[in-house]
Amino acid sequence: MLEDYLTIFVTRVLILALLALSFDLIWGYSGIMSFGQALFFGAAGYGVALVARDLGVASIFVVLPAALAMGLVLSLALGAFLLLGRHPPTTIFIALGTLTGSYVADRLARSWYYLGGQNGIPSLPPMTAGGYEFAEGRLYYYLAFSVLAIVYLVCRFVVRSQFGLALAGARDRETRILFFGYQAQKLKLTVFSLSGAIAGLAGGLYAFHDGFVGPNMVGVVLSTQIVLYALLGGVGTLIGPVIGVVVTESAGFWLADSFPKIWPIILGLLLLVVTLFWPTGLIGLVVSEQERIGSFGRSSLPPRHADTGVSNGTA
Amino acid sequence: MESALSATFEILNFGAIMVLVVLGLGIIAGMMGIFNFAHGEFVLLGAYATYLVYSFGLPVWLGMLGAPLVVGAIGFVLERLVIRHFYAAPIVAMLGTYALGLIIRESVRSLIGGLYITVPEPIVGSLTVGDVQLSRWRFAIVVITTAVVLASYLLLTRTSLGLRVRAAIENPSLARASGISTNALYAITFTFGAALAGLAGALVVPVFSLSADLGVRFLIEGFLAIMLGGIGSFEGSMAGAAVVGVLSAALPWVVAPALADVLIFVIAIVFVKFKPRGLIAERRT
Repeated sequence: MLEDYLTIFVTRVLILALLALSFDLIWGYSGIMSFGQALFFGAAGYGVALVARDLGVASIFVVLPAALAMGLVLSLALGAFLLLGRHPPTTIFIALGTLTGSYVADRLARSWYYLGGQNGIPSLPPMTAGGYEFAEGRLYYYLAFSVLAIVYLVCRFVVRSQFGLALAGARDRETRILFFGYQAQKLKLTVFSLSGAIAGLAGGLYAFHDGFVGPNMVGVVLSTQIVLYALLGGVGTLIGPVIGVVVTESAGFWLADSFPKIWPIILGLLLLVVTLFWPTGLIGLVVSEQERIGSFGRSSLPPRHADTGVSNGTA
Repeated sequence: MESALSATFEILNFGAIMVLVVLGLGIIAGMMGIFNFAHGEFVLLGAYATYLVYSFGLPVWLGMLGAPLVVGAIGFVLERLVIRHFYAAPIVAMLGTYALGLIIRESVRSLIGGLYITVPEPIVGSLTVGDVQLSRWRFAIVVITTAVVLASYLLLTRTSLGLRVRAAIENPSLARASGISTNALYAITFTFGAALAGLAGALVVPVFSLSADLGVRFLIEGFLAIMLGGIGSFEGSMAGAAVVGVLSAALPWVVAPALADVLIFVIAIVFVKFKPRGLIAERRT
């Protein structure tokens, strides 16, 4: 029984790791601060839940591509609004824009009867593939694990490609990348929508794993929680956010039982320590700075710890 | 006629509350370039301090007087310990102040639980204008807000401290070269901003009742108000706050309340997108 419970817990952690990965792809590698990653996660979750409820379709070959597409379209639209235009946006504007998007979606989901209001959409049918049903448990765990592994490899390929290096360049010194003839805003929009697609995929997986979607899935709390996990694990690396989610969720799993009141406070203190003194996060204990994407050989510049906190990325 | 009058009063009242919240947020953002994500929690602390004084059996107004002092002192300590590491790093500042806010919010939650606690109004009763009953306390909020905004404005434009503050906003390095200690000014500014948030929290707690999430809704609206008004301008922040406050109180009278909430944010963010310098742009160089 405990084993089942653990399997379900680990599956959920893997799906959240996918979401944290999508956040880090745009913050750690591209310097776009998204405080609204749960927007794509939750919207895609609601989307596939509606597909299952109203159209009665729960085939994995429909649901997962649909979740991916919903995340992609939504992030493309929001990203185009926030990132493109005559005035290059400030980081604060993007951060507030994404935060606002998540907040608005939360309010909308809570008050819209069609989406189930406060209660969300309960009792989704299990996801199916041919004759198989993906219920909570071992099979779903393998599914989530394979998706995470595939997405991880895709991201690894992306950040190590020419495109990824240009992005890292735009993160560190945007004008230089512009002089090379890259259209930095479009690069950023591309990676923003890729990240939205990943978040959407995670949302679809999460919805069918829990068999339920609710307003908390799109809200600010989840959005900021993901930021926190990624920072704790170590941004600018792909494995960092995964580690961050695993470590914090596991710690929360044990601690939240014994100290339910103190746990969020500890989380806040940890985040404060990370932002102040320890920008590399947990991963900094293991991986050296040499592996950082976009830096070959030794940098002639002094490390810019105070600047963004992402310049310590590794891969 | 009556409903129009009470609607106007309601809108005015909420506009005033918004202005009071944004005043501190805007001063800190304009002066230090720091978007203080813990501002909502400073509001919460002000409310909590008021409740604490009241729960000891002391009069509510005493708590309201004490709240800005307490929250200001907390702000000062935090500035010295934490915030000063964040200058010139706006994103790290966002994350760091968010962490601070989380710590404060969860600490208060663990103290009061998930409850909604009501605190009585220090001035009870209502004014009768024609056939309409207007709450005396809500009226007092409007008056106090006006006084505080006026005082802050005079402080900023008529005193030598204000001159130095404006110099530090306009050109920090030149201000330092002229012998102004921007470090000390930042400490004063942050303390002042925190104290204003504490005052806001103390004043609104009888209206909204105390819960751990009291500050959250003010935060996002406050930021939008500042961006709407233009960062770094006193008049801009105040105008932005008034617009956001009035809109969020007025729109529910026009469209469905759930939609109104969404609409305010959409309007504000679209406006900021196309007018990134805000409502009052000419002060920016």
